[in-house]
Amino acid sequence: MTHYDWGTGAIVTPEKKKKKAQIIPPQTDLKRRAVNFVKGFDINLSPEQLEELEKVVQRSTETFVRDIGKELADCRKLVVDAVSNNSKAPTALENSADLAYSVKALGGTFQYPLMTQIAKSLEIFVADRTTANMKQLLVIQLHIDSLYVILASRVTGFGTTVEQATVAALTKLAERYELPRE
Amino acid sequence: MSAKIDFSKISFLVVDGDKISAQVVFDTLSYLGATAVQRVRSPNDAFEVLRTQQIDIIVTEWRLRGMDGLEFLDVLRNSVNSPNRFIPVIMLTAHSEQRYVTTARDLGITEFLAKPFNAKALYSRLVSVITRPRHFVNTGTYFGPDRRRRQVAFDGPDRRSPDDE
Repeated sequence: MTHYDWGTGAIVTPEKKKKKAQIIPPQTDLKRRAVNFVKGFDINLSPEQLEELEKVVQRSTETFVRDIGKELADCRKLVVDAVSNNSKAPTALENSADLAYSVKALGGTFQYPLMTQIAKSLEIFVADRTTANMKQLLVIQLHIDSLYVILASRVTGFGTTVEQATVAALTKLAERYELPRE
Repeated sequence: MSAKIDFSKISFLVVDGDKISAQVVFDTLSYLGATAVQRVRSPNDAFEVLRTQQIDIIVTEWRLRGMDGLEFLDVLRNSVNSPNRFIPVIMLTAHSEQRYVTTARDLGITEFLAKPFNAKALYSRLVSVITRPRHFVNTGTYFGPDRRRRQVAFDGPDRRSPDDE
């Protein structure tokens, strides 16, 4: 609030004090309810327990192979349709972007890190595109074909130098045909 | 004797539009003993659940249809209509670049887990949320868990000491 300073005869507005951060104590309810010494899983899991837990994650591998395989086939069809009819390109792009994200997110979890690498290249290529020309659609199709081959051939891990060269070639191809980006 | 976590005492909400990803999280939580695990595909559905049921921890994907995971988090932390501003949120995402992590942190994420993930990484985030709850910080521009995780020397002004007034 302003006040009259009798010394200087001026109206003085005091400097506003910056509001300090409010620190709220941690909520310990979950810890109180769940942490104990009798029942449940050790806070620090042993290597054997971790291995068992990893097996649970890997249970969904077959679902991943089946579902992503189907999505790759469906998406490829959309891209091929768009090559012959460019008005379908936006749909093909939207579908490719979703697929690229899913494969990038899950490939490595199910021991297909190579798929994650290729999907990342595809994701970058289709990001923020609303349309694509024929050559760009063919770049997308090549990515999808590569992903399908890896999945169908069950190439787990990072593959050999041949597979790594393929990833590098796809990334270069995507860079070469990046423009125009509309 | 080592400390244990009884996951049956905790309720979870998994928000993920990807069927496989949601299944992996669900399977993992179920294996750990969690019996109250809800799965929804969108933030709108999540809010429905949060308004009607007791949920302790949210595991959400960033990329969601309609409102994305960040907007979801923003509403949770900052809206007056939020069902629970303090609820721990673990964000799973394939957007693992530094700028994404920073953005999520500055909106009040509790834990961040980059995809592809493995069981060990998911478990460590769960342990962290349950056993090491953090202070919440409320400033004019931020509401969420304390972002200072490490104690490091800092010679700037202490903006957290109590007011002199």
